[in-house]
Amino acid sequence: MAVGESQLDGETESGAEDEVEARVGWRYTVARIKQDTTARLGLYVVSFTLFVAMYTLIDSNLSRLTFGQVSNYTFAQVLPFFDHPTHIPDPGEGTQHMPPYFPLAEQSWNPLPAGGTLEHPLGTDHTGRDYFTRVVYGTQVSVFVGLISTFIGLSGGTVIGAVAGYYGGKVDDILMRIVETVYAIPPLILIIVFTVFIGGASIWYAVLGVGIAFIPIFARIIRSQVLSVREMDYIEAARAAGVRDRNIIMRHVVPNSFAPMLVYATLQIGVTILIVAGLSFLGYGAQPPTPDWGQMLNIAHRNYMHSNIWLSIWPGIAIMITIMGFNLFGDGLQDALDPQIDD
Amino acid sequence: MKLLKYATYRLLQSIPVLIGISIITFLLANLGPGDPVSLMLQGQEQNEALVRAIEQRYGLNKPLHERYLTYMGGLLEGDLGQSIHYRRPVTDLILERVGPTLLLVLSAYAFALVTAIPLGVIAANKRNEPSDHASRVAALIGVSTPSFWIGIVLILIFAVKLEWLPSSGLIYPWRPPSTYRSIDGHLELYYQSLRHLLLPMIALGTLQMATIMRVERTQMIESLQGEYVKLARAYGVPERTILRKHAFQVAQLPIVTIVGANLSTAIGGAVIVETVFNINGMGQLFVDSIQQNDYQLMMGVTMMLGVLFVLGVIVTDISYAYIDPRVTYGESE
Repeated sequence: MAVGESQLDGETESGAEDEVEARVGWRYTVARIKQDTTARLGLYVVSFTLFVAMYTLIDSNLSRLTFGQVSNYTFAQVLPFFDHPTHIPDPGEGTQHMPPYFPLAEQSWNPLPAGGTLEHPLGTDHTGRDYFTRVVYGTQVSVFVGLISTFIGLSGGTVIGAVAGYYGGKVDDILMRIVETVYAIPPLILIIVFTVFIGGASIWYAVLGVGIAFIPIFARIIRSQVLSVREMDYIEAARAAGVRDRNIIMRHVVPNSFAPMLVYATLQIGVTILIVAGLSFLGYGAQPPTPDWGQMLNIAHRNYMHSNIWLSIWPGIAIMITIMGFNLFGDGLQDALDPQIDD
Repeated sequence: MKLLKYATYRLLQSIPVLIGISIITFLLANLGPGDPVSLMLQGQEQNEALVRAIEQRYGLNKPLHERYLTYMGGLLEGDLGQSIHYRRPVTDLILERVGPTLLLVLSAYAFALVTAIPLGVIAANKRNEPSDHASRVAALIGVSTPSFWIGIVLILIFAVKLEWLPSSGLIYPWRPPSTYRSIDGHLELYYQSLRHLLLPMIALGTLQMATIMRVERTQMIESLQGEYVKLARAYGVPERTILRKHAFQVAQLPIVTIVGANLSTAIGGAVIVETVFNINGMGQLFVDSIQQNDYQLMMGVTMMLGVLFVLGVIVTDISYAYIDPRVTYGESE
């Protein structure tokens, strides 16, 4: 790949010092990501989804229009480079509102507006809300759910895995037995049981449930990392110097086993989004009117498989692209962080 | 008889895990805010005496640990309690429903293995050629797409548009539904059940296929660079024989591990795929139990799915030990 090579040359020209500077560390990683096509592509997709998610978070006008049932604004109307609506309805104000062009009472459910117009590029859903807006908003839900629950799993797993690996013995035994038990229940099952029986179906309990369900995976990885780091000389030195255990774990052990965790976390974000989409699809994740892809697919699958097949297509494509971005980036990161792989 | 010893050892080792699963499900089911008595009396008039009577009958007035021990006692005898919603023993319900789920999961794995291994080998053999890139992209799409959406798209294409295959239900050859009882001959019945199985199988198997293919590719690449392959080449063994015998066999070991580890994803996926295709399996039973707040049934199904997963992992571990002569049967642990 010509672009990649020229960039590589740029890196090596910057001096022999960089070359000598170990084949680990951030600068090296960034350089590897730059030259790896997969990682670069993944980075673009991830940045794009993150940007969309952030944007939808900030633009509260759009947000209120989508989350509340207010639906008579088209996407073209609320996009900033078109005109903002002059009157932003309060939440709840729109609940009595029926879109003027889609009188449910008179018209049968079919056919749903098919889309393809500037007003509704992807048509509207069954209540007349712009489908494109809702698909775009789904990014926010999916991405943040993925990030937050992966973070919960990662931090919980890091603590448990690090403690178990560092102390070993009885502590290790007990912690790992618990972790194994949780691991033995299929995550989706555990999450549904947790969500419904503890909290009642809601996206926040789902996020927490997913996070907890993935603690075992992270705990196992970090434990094995810690076990290998623990025997290193500098840990021995720190211990000899009288550094407290907690500080050794937090300052030395965890940072040194973090690289593989980062890769795994990135890949795990994809898995999390997949699981939460499934959860919402079953009706235990995001609740209407939240525009969540899984939940949109649920509605489309139940009611509109025959009348408007596109309602079942768009959210799925959105899920696929988002997860693919994280997977690509994770794969690239893995190659970049692993000095053994030479392609 | 080392293998038998190892199998026994692994089974014994799984007992604490199974007890752990029962504790977790029991706690989740009983510590939740949902009150089983009011659920049972849904729609009925509640009076003090009736509530007492129900509590007495189901032992709900006893402390938690006593209830757990009672539950465990029943569990050892194969009694998982009475379903509140169906008003039937949970064990019966599970035995009725476990067949379709096993059929679905096993056929999905069969589909995944049959497609993924050849594709992975081809990709590794033609590394960095177009066919390799194509299969890598396919694998990436496979791991990034939710199984239920694959199911929906398959239904849209093959059932709604082309009308080739049925969009829902599953016909099990061992217990045909009444509409198919009239069909003469086993062949027709098997054909019908295959037609029904095809779409859910692909929907559930795609993720497994993609995962296995990726692992197969990396393993084959690694294996093809091994010393033994170099040696075989030096001896002038034909490239095809090297690929088939020397490189291939070594590369299959991690596949066994992946199959076991992914079993929990597959079981979770089966729940969703069963919903999409309206299959009356364990997944549907689980979803029912959740929707009806039937905590007794929920505990039973969760236990059962956990047991299936643990057993699956043990089976893969044992087959791993059987295939790989280097495995020390875990005695040193």
